[in-house]
Amino acid sequence: MSAWSGTAFAAARVPSPVAALVGRGAVRVLFFGGLVLIFLPLVLTVYLSFFDERLIIFPPHAYTLRWYTEVVPHFAGPLLTTLEVAAVAVPGSLLLGVPAGLALVRRDFRGKGAVGTLLLAPLTVPLIAVGLAIYLFSVTIEELTNAPLAGSFLVLLAGHLMVTTPWVVRLVVASLVNQDRAAEEAAASLGASPLTVFRRVTLPAMRQGLIAATLFSFIATFGELEMTLFLVSPGMTTLPIAILGYLKYHIDPLIAAATVMQMALIGAALALLDRFVIRLGQIVR
Amino acid sequence: MSSTSLSIVAPAAGRRRDLSAGLLLGPASLLILVTLAAPLLLLFRYSLDRFDPTKLIIPAVTASNYLHFVTDSFYLGILRLTIEVAAGSTFLCLLFGAPIAYRLARTQSRAKSAMVLALILPLFMGATARTVGWMILFSHGGILNLGVGLFAPHARFDMMYTPTAVMIGILSFNLPYMVLMLQAVFERIDPFLEEAAWGLGAAPARAFWRVVFPLSLPGLAIATILCFILSMNAYATPVLLGGPRFHMMAPQVYIEFAANNDWPFAAVIAFILMATTILLAVVANRVIPAHYRAP
Repeated sequence: MSAWSGTAFAAARVPSPVAALVGRGAVRVLFFGGLVLIFLPLVLTVYLSFFDERLIIFPPHAYTLRWYTEVVPHFAGPLLTTLEVAAVAVPGSLLLGVPAGLALVRRDFRGKGAVGTLLLAPLTVPLIAVGLAIYLFSVTIEELTNAPLAGSFLVLLAGHLMVTTPWVVRLVVASLVNQDRAAEEAAASLGASPLTVFRRVTLPAMRQGLIAATLFSFIATFGELEMTLFLVSPGMTTLPIAILGYLKYHIDPLIAAATVMQMALIGAALALLDRFVIRLGQIVR
Repeated sequence: MSSTSLSIVAPAAGRRRDLSAGLLLGPASLLILVTLAAPLLLLFRYSLDRFDPTKLIIPAVTASNYLHFVTDSFYLGILRLTIEVAAGSTFLCLLFGAPIAYRLARTQSRAKSAMVLALILPLFMGATARTVGWMILFSHGGILNLGVGLFAPHARFDMMYTPTAVMIGILSFNLPYMVLMLQAVFERIDPFLEEAAWGLGAAPARAFWRVVFPLSLPGLAIATILCFILSMNAYATPVLLGGPRFHMMAPQVYIEFAANNDWPFAAVIAFILMATTILLAVVANRVIPAHYRAP
C-alpha cells in the first residue's frame, strides 16, 4: 500500500523538462564558478609576475622574467629568518612529536584522551589569540627574571614549535594506528632488544608518516602569519609578515613573482608528499 | 578524526610502561603547556586588568573591559560585521563547494587525484599569497576596473576595500577546504542508494535532495561549522581586501595591541572571538537532530 502511494507521489512530482534544464544549468554554473573562485587568483598572480611594468598596466608593453631574480635579494632578510626558524622548528617538532605520537598509540595510561587533546589543541585555537598570549607571557616572564625574551628569536622559535608539533603528532598517530603490533612482538620474542625492534620494525613502518610530518611541519612554519605577527621585532621578521607589509602598500609584479615562487615551493613539497604518501586528501581533513 | 584514532585501546601495560609513556609524552606536553595553555591563562588575567592611556596597564580584577565591548556600538558593530561576513561566505562556500565535491566524490578517473592535489595546493599557500590574485583583479587600475572602464568610461567602480571584496576573498580561501570536507562526506554515502532511487524513477535532482542530502546532513553541518570558524578568524584577507577602515575581529586584536597599546582590550577581543566561535559550534551541534549525529 505504502509502496503504491510512494510511486504515485513520485509520478505526480516529476519536474518539467524546463525546470530540470534550469536546475542542471544552475548546478553547472556553480560548478565552474567554484573552480574560477579557487583558481582564478592563482592564474592572475602567475600572469602578473611576467609583466615588464612597475605597476599593474594592462596590457603590459612587454613580458620579462627579471622579477624572479629580484625576489630573493629583495626579501633576503625575512627569507633567511623564516628558513632559520624552519631549520630548528622542523627537526625540533619531530624530536618532540614522534615519541609523543608513539606513546599515544602504543602505550596505555590514564588521561590519554586529555593528553591527546592537549597535543592537538594548537590546530584548533585561533592563532591570533595565541600570538598575543605568547607575547604578553614573554613580557611578563621578562619582567620577573630580566631575561631578554620579548621579541627574541627564542620565543619566535617556541611559538613555531607549538604550531608544528601537533602536525607531527597527528601524522605519526595516523601512520601507526593501522600498523599491526604483531611484527614488533614477533621481533621481540625472537630476541631483538627494544631498541632493535624500534630501529628495524617500528621506524620503517612509520616512514610515510615521518616524511609527511616533515613536509607538513615545514609548510606550517613557512606560512605561519597570525601568531608570528606578535613575535617578530624590528630587524627580525619572517617572509609572510614581510609580504603582508609590502602588499599593504604595493601590488606589483615583484610580489606576484614572490607568491609564484612560494606556490612552486609548496607545490613541489606536496607533489613529493603525494609520491610517498597515498591519500593526501585524508590528512588535510 | 584524530580523536577517534587516539582512543584505540592498547593492550594492558605494566608500571614500567607508564613511566616510559611519561618520558615520551613529557617534552611535547610541556611545550604545549608553556607555549599555549599558560599564555592563554595569563591572557585571560590581562583581560581583567584596567588600562590607562598614560599609565598603560593597572593591575585590577574588573569586568569593565568586557562591559566596554558589549556596550560600545563600534565594537558590537565589528562583531556583527565579522559574523555577517563569515555567515555570507560560508553559505556561498556550501553553494559553490557542493557541486564540485559531489562530482569529485562520484568520479573514479585518473584526473581525480590530480584534482585533489590541485585543491590541496592553494590550501597550504597561506591567505596572503592567495589574496594577491584578488588584489590584481580588484585594485585601482586592476582588471575589473579596466573592464568596467571599457563599457562605462565615466563610471566610478571600485571593488577594492568593500565588504563584497572581503567576502569573495574569504570564500575563495575556504572553498578548497569545504570541497575536500564535502567530498569525504559524499564518498561515505553508498552510490547504490542513488542508483536505487533512479531505478525507482526519481530524477537525479530528486534523488540528490531526497536521498543523498539527508544522509549528508551531519557531515554538511560539521563542514559548515568549521568553515564558519575559519572565516570568523580570517586575518590577512580583511586586512588586504578590506583596507584600513574595514574592521573585523582578528585584525582588531592586532590593532588594539599594536596601534593603541591596549593589551587588556586586545585580550578581551581575542577571548570574545574565541568564545563566539566555540559557542556557535556548540549551538550548531545541538541543532543537528540527534539521529543524524555520528555515533
